[in-house]
Order: sequence, then structure tokens, then C-alpha cells
Amino acid sequence: MTRLRRWVDEALWGPETALRLAVVYAGLSVLIGLRIALGSYRQLADTPPALVDPVPILGWLDRMPSAEVIVGIQVVGVLAAVAAVLRRNPRLAFAVAWLCYLVLAGLRGSRGKVLHNDLLLLWASAPFLLAPVAVDVRDRIARRRYGWPIRVAMVITALVYFLAGYHKLRRSGIDWVLGDNMRYVMLWGPSIGEAQWESMARWVGEHLWAAKASGAFILGVEISFPVVLVVRRLQAWYALAAVFLHVTTWFVLGLDYWAWAATVALLFIDWPAVARWVRRLSRGTADVRESRATLPVPGA
Amino acid sequence: MSAAPGDVETDAVPDAETDAVPQSARWLVGALFILLLVPGLVGFDLWPLTGWRLFSLARDETQTLWVLEAVDEDGSSRLVDVEELPLRYRHAEWPMADLPGASTARRQAVCEALLGAVVDIEPATAELRIARDRARLEKGDGGWTVIDDLEVIHTCRPADLEVGDA
Repeated sequence: MTRLRRWVDEALWGPETALRLAVVYAGLSVLIGLRIALGSYRQLADTPPALVDPVPILGWLDRMPSAEVIVGIQVVGVLAAVAAVLRRNPRLAFAVAWLCYLVLAGLRGSRGKVLHNDLLLLWASAPFLLAPVAVDVRDRIARRRYGWPIRVAMVITALVYFLAGYHKLRRSGIDWVLGDNMRYVMLWGPSIGEAQWESMARWVGEHLWAAKASGAFILGVEISFPVVLVVRRLQAWYALAAVFLHVTTWFVLGLDYWAWAATVALLFIDWPAVARWVRRLSRGTADVRESRATLPVPGA
Repeated sequence: MSAAPGDVETDAVPDAETDAVPQSARWLVGALFILLLVPGLVGFDLWPLTGWRLFSLARDETQTLWVLEAVDEDGSSRLVDVEELPLRYRHAEWPMADLPGASTARRQAVCEALLGAVVDIEPATAELRIARDRARLEKGDGGWTVIDDLEVIHTCRPADLEVGDA
């Protein structure tokens, strides 16, 4: 097997533990359930037909469904997500939740503008439609059959960030960073939504060095994201960088990308390992406390 | 060496035969990568397939916006931000942007679709104008200001709605 082939094999089909699979599976189900429950879909019901431009997968719609239908899809989706978290018929439950989320996000995007807010979570969750359902979380051996959904979701996520950076370079060149682009992104603000921290956006826009540094950070993170597939110890750092990017985007442009932030953090941080580390740390602190409490007292 | 409870046995290698990735998974992943990479690299959108062109066009001091102008009987007017309208109207800029090449009937339908919502917040509206705004950002003494340059694309009146309803 060539080196490249071995690397691709490891990136896509590498092993993970059953516990990590269970955590990511439950986490994605929770995220999908929250997006379905908290999304403002019901308000779309009375959209005038002239303003409805259905996305291709909903191309048969000539108007938005009624509020009752939308709420019905939300209820089914949330119940299915809860069932997936509780592992009640998990494969069917996850598929139903994912499908409801796809339809609802599609409805939200059926107003002319291509919306990406829900797409990372939808795409990263897709491999989990066929994830193994018989999972023994006490099995401490990392296995490929547990690992592949997580690894594939990671590759998809890394490619999505890379493609976002690639199109910036393809359509605008390096001027996207070195020119006045970020200054005007900040000063114009969002075409939809409102900045939560407008003075911050204006400050960045008025300080060209800060605007260029922001542009370099965004493009740098996006274009280099696939590095995490080779250098795995960078995964948590890239996850934190992506979370920072999406949180600051919300503050300065008011754009709702929290599903992206949560998806990246869920996939690229090994939460069972973090829990083990915290347990060890607290055990260590307790041991130190105990040893201090039982220090032999001179003269006793 | 025995592992502590909850630790991972990193050196343990599972039996390759019982630890295979199912063929169905390989087919699914192959299909997903084709659906992700073809539009992703070419750069087209067929939602949920997408080119991922997020903020990819560099911005400058000019920007083409699509705006609503509510005009009263006395001729006074104000620009209505779609953000002031209910959620279902907030992406109206995109249907408006398609109007220059659209039929009169289509222009009228989009204008009337927005008119009711505008009248709800501006009851004195006698005419609604859909306009292309070649806006420019200029820095003055008091900070940055937007200089609007409106080109009216279509106009409709509340009376049109009544005719449509009749």
C-alpha cells in the first residue's frame, strides 16, 4: 500500500472508541434537535408566494406550507432527535430527525438567498445515517467500525472550510486579505441581520491593520483546515479557532453560525479524552489534598 | 499493563476481519464526496449542494442594494429596511434583484407581496417603490456615511391590491 493510500485510509476509516462514537452521535442528535426546536420556521408560513423561490430539493412547492405542517415537522423532528439520543431505534430516529431538519432548513432557504447556516451540520451528520447502532461503550479498544463516521465527518468538515477559503482566493485573489475587503465587510455590515457589537465592527473597519489581520486569520484557518487530517494534535486548536471565528462573526455581523461552531467543537475535540483528563486532574488534586491532610506532624 | 477504568487501550489492535468498515458505508461516503466536491470545486448552488462561496467576493466602497421606498400622499418618502418587516420578508432583496429582467406581472406580484407589510408599518404609504441603490460609503468628518443613488425599477399602490382582491 502506498503512503498516500495509507494516509487516505487512515483519514477516512481510522479507528475511534465506542464511547467517542456514542458521544458524537448523541451530540449531533442534540444539535439537530435544538436547531429544529429553536429555529424560526413557523414564521415562514405566510410568506407571499411571489417571494418563495424553493430550493431544488423542495422544487415541487409553489408556496410555503401552512404553520400547522411546519410545526408538525418540528414536533416529529424533535421527538426523533430525542429518540436518537436515548438510542431508541437509533438509526431510524436519526434519519427522521436529519430529514426533518433538511426540509426545515430547505424551507428557510427557499426565499432566494443561498443559506449556509445549517449546511455544515447537515453534511457532517450525513455519515452517521449509517453509523453502527450496536455500540458497547465499555469497549475500550479503538475500532474502525466505530471510527469511520467520525473520521468521514471530520474530512467533510475540513473540506467545507477549505472550499470556503478556496473560493475567496479564486474569486478575489489575495486581495481578499491584503486589500480593503475586510474593512468594507465590517463597515457595510450584514445584508441580513444586525451586528450584536456594532462599535467593534466599526472599530475593525476603521483600523486597516485590524481588518487585514482579521482577513488573514479567516482565510488562513479556512485554507489550511485540512492540515488537521494529517497533524491530529492540531485538531482541538483548529476547533477553537473555528469557534472563535463564528462567535466573532455573530458579534460583528450578527450572522447565526452557532451550528457550525458546535459541530466543529463536537467533532474535533475528543470529549471522552477531555473527561478522562479532567478526572485525572481532579484525582491528582484530591491526592495532593489528602497527602497534605495526612502529613506527619513533628512531635506527634 | 492494565488500563485504569475508562482509559483507552491504545495499543490493542482489534481483529481486522471483525473490524471492517461495511461496504454500504463506503458507497455512502463515495456518494457524499462526489456531491460535496463537484459543486464545491466548480462553484454552483443546488441547495443542499453548494459552492461554499461565503463572503468570497471582495467588497469595496460601493455596493448594489435593493431597497423599498415608501412614498406618502404629500410626496415625502423614506427607505424601509426589510429588517423592519416580519421575518418572512427579510430575504426580499433576492427576489427584488431578479426584477430588472422579469415580466411586468412578476414585478407587480413581488411589489404587491411587499406592499401589505410596508403599509402595516407605514400606514400613510400611497406608493411603494422597489429601487436599485448603487450605494457608496464615504468617510466624512462625523464618520462613515452611505450615499444612496436610487433607480426605481417598479412602483405599486395600495389601490392595486384592492383591484387584485376584487
